[in-house]
Amino acid sequence: MPEGVIVGGWSYVIAAYGITTTVLVLYVISLFKRAAVTAGEAPDDH
Amino acid sequence: MRLARQAWLIFRKDLLLEWRGRARTVSVLLFGVVTLVLFSFALGPEAEPLRRGAAGFLTLALLLSSVLGLNESFRLEQEDRALEGLLLRPVEPTALFYGKALGSAFLLLLLALILVPAAVVLYDLSPTPAGLLQLAGLWALASAGLAAPGTLYAAITGRLQSQDVALPLLLFPLVVPVLLGSVKAMDLVLTGDPMHQLRSWALLLAGFDAIYWSVCGILFPFAIEES
Amino acid sequence: MKRAWIGWSAVAGLALLAVGTWIGLFVAPAERHMGDVQRIMYVHVPSAWIGMVCFTAAFVFAILSLWSGRRVWDDRLVGAVEVGVVLNALLLVQGSIWGRATWGVWWDWDVRLTTSLVMLLLFAGVLALRRLADDEGRRASWSAVATIVGYVDVPLVYFCVRWWRSLHQVQSTPETVDPAMALPLRLNAIGLLLVAIWMASRRARLEGARRIAESAAPPARVVSEEVARA
Repeated sequence: MPEGVIVGGWSYVIAAYGITTTVLVLYVISLFKRAAVTAGEAPDDH
Repeated sequence: MRLARQAWLIFRKDLLLEWRGRARTVSVLLFGVVTLVLFSFALGPEAEPLRRGAAGFLTLALLLSSVLGLNESFRLEQEDRALEGLLLRPVEPTALFYGKALGSAFLLLLLALILVPAAVVLYDLSPTPAGLLQLAGLWALASAGLAAPGTLYAAITGRLQSQDVALPLLLFPLVVPVLLGSVKAMDLVLTGDPMHQLRSWALLLAGFDAIYWSVCGILFPFAIEES
Repeated sequence: MKRAWIGWSAVAGLALLAVGTWIGLFVAPAERHMGDVQRIMYVHVPSAWIGMVCFTAAFVFAILSLWSGRRVWDDRLVGAVEVGVVLNALLLVQGSIWGRATWGVWWDWDVRLTTSLVMLLLFAGVLALRRLADDEGRRASWSAVATIVGYVDVPLVYFCVRWWRSLHQVQSTPETVDPAMALPLRLNAIGLLLVAIWMASRRARLEGARRIAESAAPPARVVSEEVARA
């Protein structure tokens, strides 16, 4: 193993990508949910 | 110039009102001193850490006290809807901004008269006379840097219910350059400047002031317009 | 018409992200000193770029909002700021993870990360301010003012922090990008940009819908509920 190379680096990579993907997906879901809530409040809706 | 004259009148009016209600100003000064003392308790009683942190403590005391002063600057106008009266008179919004910002900057500058001596005593500092002058100059630059965006944001947050938390929330991240510049520069004055960096930090503060005194002046009318 | 365009380019963006990430994770060579950890770069650098694009767009929208007074620019401002805040927050998390892996610390006041932290606070403040304002017109002007003032601060903060740090030891994330690494980086950057545009435009539309729902007569509904109850 060349000197200075970090072993076990993959867990960090997975953590970074995993968190990023999860948060972005949750954000998109929240966009849709909030849109549905607002549509429910629309004035022409009784 | 009408604008300058109006700004001056508003500056005078605010100072007069502050003088009349000077109990509050004195309270803000005391608050500043209390803050300095709290830092001593948090980081003392060894003299060395206090001495090293003195520039930071002074700057933070200025910053925290500024919020109290700024919140006040528009509270007076809220009462009896004085702000609308002023604007109807007709006072140029821009003149209102500069008048108020100058007033706030002046009051912050006044804090130095109490806080710097307090810090010299509490943190065992020994600035030279030249050093004291430099501190005064830096304090003026920092006060100006806080006063301009502070006045703009105080005008905005003065209308809100939770104004007392909204103002620091908005202002503090914004004035990070003032904070860094003030701390670094004051530290150089108090502990020595072997590489002559003081001028650069002072220029940075001055640059921040120049930028924000113009930008905030331009934006102020939008901040107080009634749509 | 335009919405369809944005939607389809977002799909393309996702495809680009998939390809770029695949290449970045499995095909591109490992960096000499850091090994595989450096692959975080393929999501970290695009997040930084596109976050900055979002805030720059917000700045432009803010100026347009004040200048024209049209609420649609305020809607778009919200979209840009919110997506920018999300990307910036992710940026900080990724940077922290990377820092932990390479330097052993979760935070070390790296210039770019520190500037991003201040940016996050500035623009999250804009969003917080919106929630505190109840009048639509004021909300729009205030958001625009706060956005402009905050954006102007960014270069100042950057230079300040850089200078502040140069007094201490400097550990910056490596910049050298070998050509084999440039491809996945660019793919991810473009992909993320397309997806971000879609998210921001959806958020803008949501804001527009909310505005309309808010200004439509709620009192009438309250009155009718009272009557129904009586």
